[in-house]
Amino acid sequence: MRSGGHPRGGTVGACCAAVGLVLLLAACGPAAGSASGGAPAASSGGTSATFAMQPGGIAQYPFPFMGSVQASTFDSVFNVDEFQYLLYRPLYWFGNGTKPYMNPQVSLAYPPVYQGDEVKIKLKRNYKWSNGEAVDAQDVVFWMNMMKAEGANDAYFSTTGLPSDVTSVRAVGQYEVTMRIKTPFSQSWFSSNELSEITPMPLAWDVTSGTAKPGSGGCAGASYSSITVNPNNLNSATEEPAPVSASAKACAAVFNYLTAQASPANPTPTTYANSPLWSVVDGPWKLVSLTTAGNLKLTFNSKYGGPVAPHHITTFIELPFTSEQAEYNVLQDPTAGQTIDVGYLPTVDAPTPPAGALVGANPSTLPDYHLSAQYLWQLSYMPYNFRNTTGEAPIFDQLYFRQAFQLLVDQEGVINGPLHGYGKPTVGPVALYPSTKYLSQKVVKEGDPWALNIQKAKSVISGHGWTVEHGTFTCTSPGTGPHDCGAGIPANKQLKFSMIYASGVDWMESAARELSSNASLAGITLSLTEEPFSNVVGTAFGCTPTKPCTWQLALWGSWTYSPDYLPTGDTLFEGGVFNNAGDYNSTTDNQLITDTLQARTPAEFDAAMHTWDSYATNQLPVVYEPDEANLIETVKGLDIGVLNSADTITPEDWHYLK
Amino acid sequence: MTAYLARRVLQAVAVVLLVTLIVFGLIRLAPGGAAVGVLGSGSAHQQFLVEYLTWLGHVLTGNLGRSLRLNESVGALLAASLPRTLVLAGLSTLIALLIAVPVGLIQAVRRNSAIDHVLRGLTYLLYGAPPFVLGLLLILYLAVDAHIFGAEGPQAPGIGGFITDPRDLTLPVATLTLVTIAIFARYMRSSALDSLGQEYVEAARARGGREGRVVVSHVLRNSLVPVVTLLGLSLPQIVGGALVVEILFNIQGMGWQIWQAAVNHDFPVTLGFTLVIGVAAALGSMLADIGYAVLDPRVRTWQP
Repeated sequence: MRSGGHPRGGTVGACCAAVGLVLLLAACGPAAGSASGGAPAASSGGTSATFAMQPGGIAQYPFPFMGSVQASTFDSVFNVDEFQYLLYRPLYWFGNGTKPYMNPQVSLAYPPVYQGDEVKIKLKRNYKWSNGEAVDAQDVVFWMNMMKAEGANDAYFSTTGLPSDVTSVRAVGQYEVTMRIKTPFSQSWFSSNELSEITPMPLAWDVTSGTAKPGSGGCAGASYSSITVNPNNLNSATEEPAPVSASAKACAAVFNYLTAQASPANPTPTTYANSPLWSVVDGPWKLVSLTTAGNLKLTFNSKYGGPVAPHHITTFIELPFTSEQAEYNVLQDPTAGQTIDVGYLPTVDAPTPPAGALVGANPSTLPDYHLSAQYLWQLSYMPYNFRNTTGEAPIFDQLYFRQAFQLLVDQEGVINGPLHGYGKPTVGPVALYPSTKYLSQKVVKEGDPWALNIQKAKSVISGHGWTVEHGTFTCTSPGTGPHDCGAGIPANKQLKFSMIYASGVDWMESAARELSSNASLAGITLSLTEEPFSNVVGTAFGCTPTKPCTWQLALWGSWTYSPDYLPTGDTLFEGGVFNNAGDYNSTTDNQLITDTLQARTPAEFDAAMHTWDSYATNQLPVVYEPDEANLIETVKGLDIGVLNSADTITPEDWHYLK
Repeated sequence: MTAYLARRVLQAVAVVLLVTLIVFGLIRLAPGGAAVGVLGSGSAHQQFLVEYLTWLGHVLTGNLGRSLRLNESVGALLAASLPRTLVLAGLSTLIALLIAVPVGLIQAVRRNSAIDHVLRGLTYLLYGAPPFVLGLLLILYLAVDAHIFGAEGPQAPGIGGFITDPRDLTLPVATLTLVTIAIFARYMRSSALDSLGQEYVEAARARGGREGRVVVSHVLRNSLVPVVTLLGLSLPQIVGGALVVEILFNIQGMGWQIWQAAVNHDFPVTLGFTLVIGVAAALGSMLADIGYAVLDPRVRTWQP
């Protein structure tokens, strides 16, 4: 998961700082939805474009292979999509039009070819590093070797994913890599959630000192099978397995050196532009300058071998902002010292779009810009804590309660109220928008089965042994019968819950207050506590088996499916996995998730996804919340293409219209 | 005077140490393993005092630690943000004083006149107006509509670019100035009214001194004493006001950095910046006392 200023998914490290209010724009072609103001353009024009990042952005860590410590801060849209990916391209690029699918045109390699338990990755020959070397098979093996040696220290490590599910990696010639995978596995899943994590690394990075010869580190050229670690011998500080073989130790040394050079005490981010490590790029952009404050200036890398738009910009500037209001102020002032060509509009300042339209009118204060709405590939949700130790877990275990509680969430009200129409309801783990092949048509046809209905919620609860006493439902019929409260719920237990939610986001506060109000009307007492985002996420993901776990409901925002682009459920909804914050655990759910991971063909995979999506829609393992859109203002005359749902940007396609 | 100075310096050092001890203690109590974040793993099992002394030892060698969130040392963050806030707070305080002192004096001398009522109304209005409201109004009318000033603070890297950009610097400074004027003018008026009723003022008048000379020589000097004290003590409030102005005008100053650090549990930065603000507050208080002693000789001869 990756979100605005916050991490992306699939990892322990990511989670702990993670999630939330996401952003981003991208790619080529006409905008998904846009509205214009009136007056002529006042862009900076020519060959340069200035992009105003969302407030709180930090783009200062260049090394793509992030340890969990670094990932908790730098695995963000700002640092990965808006910085690292511009310099160092991932093996496979995701974001194809508005869809979160693989984009073979922009990828460094042709789509993977599966033969039994083997996958063949053929790299394109047109990609070069800026030092003239080819982007080749060894660069992919280098990443995989480091992953095997430093797997537990990798931000995307999971016990069932890379590298543990790959038994061999071999370079076959200069441009082909062959991997052997433990079977059974889903090809769709492996392409979109495993290969998507790989970023080839240049030989210049296979070093352990500033004067060492490229490749002398001994990691890139090592054989994958020769790298062995001891999972039973964990480093007391980092808890990562100790390297055993010489090649594992070599990779560990290289990792430590690169990590130190990316987060050094001495050289600061301002020196990265001239670093012998970080100046070697295969992406379309090279770093010119990076200030302590986070101002980024990049210039086009003339050796970039991928597709670019004709007459594209050659200088790309990224500006940090302290607040949404400050960014909006500058957007409104065309004579500002720094003009913004692309920036964000606070939802609260956006006129509500007409019914059914993706985007409405541009604010009259921004006549030189046109407005677009961007919907990210993500899930907006609030977990129940099924391992709660204060006695509420047995209530959350009851399906009837979860269904009744979901009936109290007024998603349409929040979308049409504080979100000014810029949002979409969430009805299951697969987002309704952007529409994808993974979305169950049954779900689409039925719409939101849990739209606001307070009376129905009240009726469902009262039909299961609860009676309203002093305004709050109280269990008067304990037991496990069809009309009883349910297993583990004692007599006189009340429906009283505490809910923490992230501060600083207006719509989320409104949503929390509205839910509390609706709950009180239905006979449920919901106590709200506002806390900083990091506190909420830290609490929700912070429970361990050895200490009391007291939180009950936690709302922080969303989970962006990136760089694991398939919403397969193994990350968020499978019993026992770290990012399953509330520890929802159902045998049926786990089996349906396994079915998606083991589907052998794309057709089987889609069918398995639909089955699981329908199941999760009805089982409500979490509270589904409305999904907020990003509003992007682009100066007239600048074409930035489609706003991508996969959180990636391609400024090499941005160009000014003649 | 030397003994008085030495005494005040020692008191200031003690206050700063106390501030660091309290902040360190509070942060240690915060959830999330703050001490481990600041001192590294293993520290959780050490005694509080050992942890504190370790951190203090680092501080004394100039090592304020490294941000858990940003790819920077706390020292580098301070070097980047402190000058901006200093310029912002310093300029606005200076301008506010230059305006507030005569305004308060005029109000006192013309007590209950029309001009007093008008100025009192204005200062009350400014006193009650939150900085973000004032700032937004200034941006709306003077930047967005009239294009006279910039809608954000100076963005040039380095302090040189910051202070040589009057167009963009004006509105943030003006916002903070307007709030500060209100505080100082009200104190100045009250203090000058007290002075005007003193016997030495009556005596000066009785000796035939011209009113203007009496006000400047006798009322102004004595009225400045509480204002100088207030100036020293209000430093943390000015930094607090700067936070709002920095957020509104896109200035990555100290206020904004410490706020970001607090909400993101970036304890080394929170500690380092709090230390600097604590030192500044103690220094401000000490300078105020020294100023007080300069203005009123009775202070420096007083013995507790």
